[in-house]
Formats: sequence, structure tokens, C-alpha cells
Amino acid sequence: MEPALAWIVLGLPLLGAATLAAWPSEPPRSMTRVLGVGPMVVSFLLTAWLYVQMLGENSDDRLVVSRVWEWIEIGDLSIDVALQVDPLSVMMMLVVTGVGSLIFIYSTEYMEHDRDYRRFFAEMGFFVFSMLLLVLAANFLFLIVGWALVGLASYLLIGFYYEKPPAVAAAKKAFIINVIGDLAMVIAAFILVVELGTLNYLLVFEAAPDGLGRGAVEAVTILLFVGAAAKSAQVPLHTWLPDAMEGPTPVSALIHAATMVTAGVYLIVRTHELYELAPYASDLVAITGAVTLFLAATIATVQVDVKRVLAWSTISQIGYMIMAAGLGAYGAAMYHLMTHAFFKALLFLSIGMVIHGLAGAQSLDRMGGLGRHLKFAYVATAIGVLAISGVPGTAGFFSKDEILASAWDAGDLGRVLWLVGALAAGITAFYMFRLLFRTFSGPEPEGGYGVHPQPSRWPMAAPVAVLAVLSLWGGWIQVPRGWTWIIDWLEPVIGRESIPGQQAELVTLATSIAVVAIGAAAAWWIFAVDPARPKRLAGRLVATRRLLEDQFRFDHVYDRAVVGPTRDLAEYLYRRMESGFVDGLVRGAISLARGSAMGLRAAQNGLVRTYVFVMISGVVGLGALLAWVVTR
Amino acid sequence: MAEQIIFVIAAAAALMSGALVVTLENAFRATVALIVTLVSVAVIFLLLAAPFVAAIQIIVYAGAIVVLFLFVIAYMGDRPAPGLEDRLAPYQAFTWIFVIALIGQAGIMLANSNLVGLYDEPAATDDIGSPEAIGRAFIDDYIVPFEATSAILLVAAIAAVLLAKRGVNFEGGR
Amino acid sequence: MSGVPLFWYLMLSFGLFGLGLVGVMRRRNPLLMLLAVELMLNSANIALVGFARQWNNTDGQIFALVVMAVAAAEVVIGLGLVVAVFRQRLALNVDEMSSLKG
Repeated sequence: MEPALAWIVLGLPLLGAATLAAWPSEPPRSMTRVLGVGPMVVSFLLTAWLYVQMLGENSDDRLVVSRVWEWIEIGDLSIDVALQVDPLSVMMMLVVTGVGSLIFIYSTEYMEHDRDYRRFFAEMGFFVFSMLLLVLAANFLFLIVGWALVGLASYLLIGFYYEKPPAVAAAKKAFIINVIGDLAMVIAAFILVVELGTLNYLLVFEAAPDGLGRGAVEAVTILLFVGAAAKSAQVPLHTWLPDAMEGPTPVSALIHAATMVTAGVYLIVRTHELYELAPYASDLVAITGAVTLFLAATIATVQVDVKRVLAWSTISQIGYMIMAAGLGAYGAAMYHLMTHAFFKALLFLSIGMVIHGLAGAQSLDRMGGLGRHLKFAYVATAIGVLAISGVPGTAGFFSKDEILASAWDAGDLGRVLWLVGALAAGITAFYMFRLLFRTFSGPEPEGGYGVHPQPSRWPMAAPVAVLAVLSLWGGWIQVPRGWTWIIDWLEPVIGRESIPGQQAELVTLATSIAVVAIGAAAAWWIFAVDPARPKRLAGRLVATRRLLEDQFRFDHVYDRAVVGPTRDLAEYLYRRMESGFVDGLVRGAISLARGSAMGLRAAQNGLVRTYVFVMISGVVGLGALLAWVVTR
Repeated sequence: MAEQIIFVIAAAAALMSGALVVTLENAFRATVALIVTLVSVAVIFLLLAAPFVAAIQIIVYAGAIVVLFLFVIAYMGDRPAPGLEDRLAPYQAFTWIFVIALIGQAGIMLANSNLVGLYDEPAATDDIGSPEAIGRAFIDDYIVPFEATSAILLVAAIAAVLLAKRGVNFEGGR
Repeated sequence: MSGVPLFWYLMLSFGLFGLGLVGVMRRRNPLLMLLAVELMLNSANIALVGFARQWNNTDGQIFALVVMAVAAAEVVIGLGLVVAVFRQRLALNVDEMSSLKG
């Protein structure tokens, strides 16, 4: 195995992005395409090669730390510039570069009409580099660096349409909430340095059982989870992700669905040695995931903006992963992370085809009956909906059922969470089929589409087709009672993970098929059978609908509790401190300078002989001093 | 005895002509008075065992610099100074205060300096003033100041050429 | 042969310096100010050469020669300025040259 490949995979997207950014003017579109997509595809191929090489190794030899040099040495603390290449990071690399390549190809067409073609690909390349740094880091310091850089890339891309105030506001919101998580992670790293004197993953995990006390390990894991929750949009730090849909759709697909937001799951799996020492933190993780997946699923049922539906479903699906990670089912979490990357990217890209075809419309109220015009997008979205709902045989079916089955086996808490997860699976089916029906079937909206829906060309269709295949069949790499490729592959990292028992499998299988069928049927009955029925039903459950449409009032509470007081404080400080004290200081300095200058300009009177007088008086003064010195 | 007599004569000539330099209104006459001063100072240099410096004093000062002055004065013609009111007239007293203060301070410092042989007959000197001694000192010990001086002269020559060019505008002149 | 003590040379030097100082401060014609400056330079040279004899050392004379060279440069610049001002048909009065005042 050649770990240098990892460095090349890491460096190529940055190289492409830097070249694009440094290009003196907007390069030709074909050049941008080559510089944007080329490094991504090459990175993916190299990652695949690395994967094949790793397959040839014994499972004990699959963990390699490629250390280049020692970067920081302070006292006993030593931090290396190093990458950790192991099955977990290679799996993440495959997802990031693979799905990333498809989305990059898709973007060449989707962004074709955009003025900032070059900036888009430069920022996307920068994001991929940051994400790869995050997953490849061999110590907590570089993890945090990558963590912060993906936050920066996310900020830049959410605010891609910087002329739109909502996009700018959403970018700032995402950045600020992410920084809360970054701060928590930095504090966790400080604790590790103080307690263990190292940030190296392997050394930390080796020393943690003896070196960290109960309190310390709980504190570290909870702080790391705050970081994970902020990045992965878990309650209560989830409010930024729906707003992040202001970015271009490929950005939503890559960053806010497939890769970056799953970094929290990766973090928990990566540091699972610590979480296994911290039962309370693990329970907190699992419960947070369960609460998130349920709340997000319910909110998704009433959203009108297609992308916000998908955003809430993303939060919900990540909730499943977080729940699984909290319950110790790391293989199941990673499995769902991978399949989710497939079907959520598929959903975003196929819905993106609809948005592209309608020249930017995103509201469900302006859609309907589009299946007649956009057959390809219809089929692709339908496959995605089947996969995310967990219809038997699709990718989501296997991975979600494995999470639920693992929960069933995880004690009393697990049973409760299993119930929540199973219920939410039904809601998921409901809101996803609602999205499908309201978009593609039924009559045209009143007033038409505004534009004639345009089918997409091959650069958009081909990646969607690939993702559709993966969403349909990608789940078959791990089949209950059959084979366990994911768990086998991750064994060097997460150890031998117990697979759910037969009872758990059967109960989960039966339940999930039932709830999915009920959810889908309900959606069909409400939204597909009779076009007038949604309007008739809208009068019922007004209070509940309002609560869901307000997204459980999280934003409202944050505005009242944090944003408002901060703004009031700033206003107060502006009035009292800024204009009175700070400006007073500045004005005082100005008038002092002006006054002294006005006083001193009298000396510059232009009369040469005055200067002579002044100079000689200085000489006399010096002479007086010397005379005084010699006579003393 | 002869040396003392020569010193008194030369010193008196230098001081008197110096007083004329600073008092005569006519620039031409003041410059001629300066020639007398310079020659007197050259005599003083001879008394001080510095024949080469004295020769240079005559050649460069009296020969070149003063001729330059005279040339400029001849070029400009004898234009009387404009009879403007002296705006610094109220401060004239400072002139005398400064001069007296400076000379007084110098005297105080001299009196307290403990200089050996300040009032004594000077001892005989070695060969310190001949062209050979000065040339050796310049080349052996003072080559850098020597070259720096030549650089200053070069810069001054260039500046003079620039200043003398027509079209240089001063004081918003026409 | 009886020489003159250094003291008297220094007195001569002080006297010439004082005269030059008065000239610089009283004169308003730049040409005459330059003449007064020459007086002051000469007085300094007398002191330098006097000390050279007192210490039986060439250095003072070397310094005096350098002062002469610098004086020549100064006169060249000063006279150049005087001629340039004269060519602008301005009054030769340093009090009038005051457009650089603050």
C-alpha cells in the first residue's frame, strides 16, 4: 500500500482550486471544467486504487500513518503533519471523491448560466480538499483545521449568491453555529493535551483507558459531540441547515447532504474508543440523534420549498446515523452514511434538474404534474424516494433497518429509540412520497409553470443515473444473515462489531415494511388520489401545522434569547461606548494633532533668519550645558 | 619675538577686515575685505607650522572661492539692497546676547579644560605641515574622508549645473 | 625663537567666529550671509590648525583641508541659489524667500 497516494488525493483538489482562483481573469468555461472536474476524477481514481491496494493487505496492516514532519513541538507536546490512512478514512475518501466527482460533473451543466463559474469550482475544490483533510487527519489538531476549513467552504458556498440578502444571512448563521462547535472541539483538544499530552489519534486512544478519568472522558466526548452536532445539524444546533439551502443545489447535494454534514458521524466513529469509555455521553449522543430524527421528520411533512424538505430529511437521516453511533453500532452508522450519500445526492440532483428545468422555481406550489415533462427526473426522484423511505431492496432499506435492528438489541434505551426511529421511518415515507406526488403527479399548478420545463442534458443526467443505480443496488453490500462487507472492512478501526440478532432483524423488518407502507399510502391518499383533498384537510390540526411550519420555534427562541439581546447589547454599546467614549478618544486625538500642528506652524514662518536665531539659541543652550558640566 | 609681532599684526588685520566683512553694505567691498581676512589667516597658518594649509588657503579660498564671489557680484551688478523694514529688528539684542554668551561659554570651558601648555611657549614640532606629511596622512589614514570629500564636491558641481540651468522656477517667479 | 601660546590663537578664533555669527544674524543679503559663514569656517580652521601644532599631529590640518573642500562646495551651491533667485528678478533678501512657510 502506498500512503503517498493519500497526499496526492488530498493535494489535487487544492491544486485545481488554487489554479482556478489564481487565474488572472475568468478562464474559458472549458478550461474551468477541466481544472474543476479533472482533479476530482483523478482523485477518485487514485482513491479507488488505494482501496484496491488496501484490499490486498492483511487486515492488520491496513492502518498506516504517513508522517511527513514534526510541525509543532512545545514542551512534551509534539504535533506531526501526518495523514492516517485506514479503512475508515479510505471509505470516507471514496464517498467524498466519488459522490464529489459526480456532483462536479453535474455542476458543469447546472451552473452553466451562472456568471461566477470559476468561483464556484474553485470554492468547491477547496471544500473537497478541506473535507479530505478532515477525514485523513492523523491527530486532533488537523482534524480541527479541516473541520474549520469545511465550515469556511460551507460559508462561502451558502453565500455564493452574495447579492441575495437571505443567502448572506444564511451563510453567517451557518458559520456562527459551526463556530460554536469548533470552539467546543478546541476545548476538548485542550483537555486531551492537559490530560494525555498528545493529540495523536493512536496515542490518545491507547492512553485514554488509563490516562483519562471518568469526568475527563465524559467532558471530552460531550465537547466533541457538540462539535459533531453543530456540523451535522443535530438538535439544538440544527437551525442553520435548512437556511443553507440558499446555496446552489449542487452545493446542497455535496456539502449539506452527502459529505460535510456527515462529518459529525465520522468524528464519533473515529473517536469511538473514547465514547466506549463514556456511557453517559454515548447515551446523550443516541438520544440527541433520536430526538433530531423525529423532530426533523415531522417538520419535513409541512415544508413547501422542495429543497427545505430535503434539508429536513437530511437532518433526520443524520439523526439515524448519530443515534446508531451513540448506541455503539458504528458499522451501521457508517453504512447508512454511505447509502445516504448516494440517495440524498440523487434526490438533490434530480430535484435540481426540476429546479433547473423550471429556471429556479423551488416552491411545491409552483410544481405538480411535472412527470409528464421531466420523465427522467421523475424516475430518478422516485428511485431516491424509494431508497430513503426504505422500500425493501433499496439502499436505504438495508442500512436503516440495520440501525433499527442494532437499536432493538441495545437494551432498554435502545428499545425506546427503536420505537422513535421506526415511527420516524413511517413519517419519512410520508413526506418523501408527498414530495414526489406534489412535484410530479397531479394537475399543473394554477397559473402554469411560468416557463416551459426543460429536460436536462447528459452532464446532468449521467451522474444522476449513476447515483440512481447506487441508490437502488448499493445496499446489497451488506445483507442481514448474508454477508457483512462494511463491518468486515471497518474491523481494523472499530473492532469486531456484533451483528443484530435474528429477533431484532425480523421485528425490524416487519415493522419497517409496515410503517413505510402506511406512510406511503397516507401520502398517496392525501396528495395523489384527489387533488382537492389537501386543501380540504388543511383546515384541520391548525395549531399543529403552525407549530411544524414554525419548525418548533427554535429560530424564534434563538432570536429572542441570543440574537435579540446581542443586538440590543451592540446597540447600547454603539450608542454609549462607541459614540461617546471611542469616538471621543479619536476626536480628541484628532484635535490634539491639529491643535499642536496649528501651534507649531508658527515656527515655520519662512523667515530664514528666525531659523538662524533658533539654531544658535540651541547652540548656546548646549554650550551652557557643557559649561555647567565642566565647571562642576 | 618676530613671531609674536607677526601674529599681532596678522591677528589685528584678520579681526579688522572681518569686522568690515560684516558691516560694509557694498557687497564688492565686503568681499575684498574678506580677501584680507583670508590672507591674514594664511599668515596665521604659516605661524602654526602649516605651510601646505596656508598655501591651499591662498589658492583655494583667495584664489577660487572669492573669485567666484566676485564673479557673481559682477554678474548681478551692484544693486542696492531693498530698503525694507527689518521685521526682526525688535530681536536685535539677541544677536549680541548670543555672541557674548557663546564666547563666554567658550572661555569658561577653556579655563576649566586643564589643557597642558595652553599658555606656554609652544614646543618645537616635527614635520607635520609639509605636503609630504599631509599626503601620507590622507592616503594612509584618511582615505575614506578624502574620497567622501571628492564625492561631496562632485555632487556640488552637479547641483551647480542644475541650478544654473534656465527654466528653474523659484518663488513662483515669472 | 619664541612662539605665541595656543591661547592667543584660540582667542583669535573666538573673535573671528563671533564676527561671523553677527554677520549671519544681521545680514539680509544672502551673498553677505555667505561671506560671514566663510569667516566662521576660517575661525574654526584656525582652532584646528592651532591644536594640530599643540599636539604635534597632522590630523588637525587634514581636517582643516576637508573643511575647505566642504566650504568650496557650500559656496558653489549657495552662489548657484543666489544666481537662480536673481534670475527670477526677485529681491535679494532672505526675508522675502518665505513661500515654504507653514
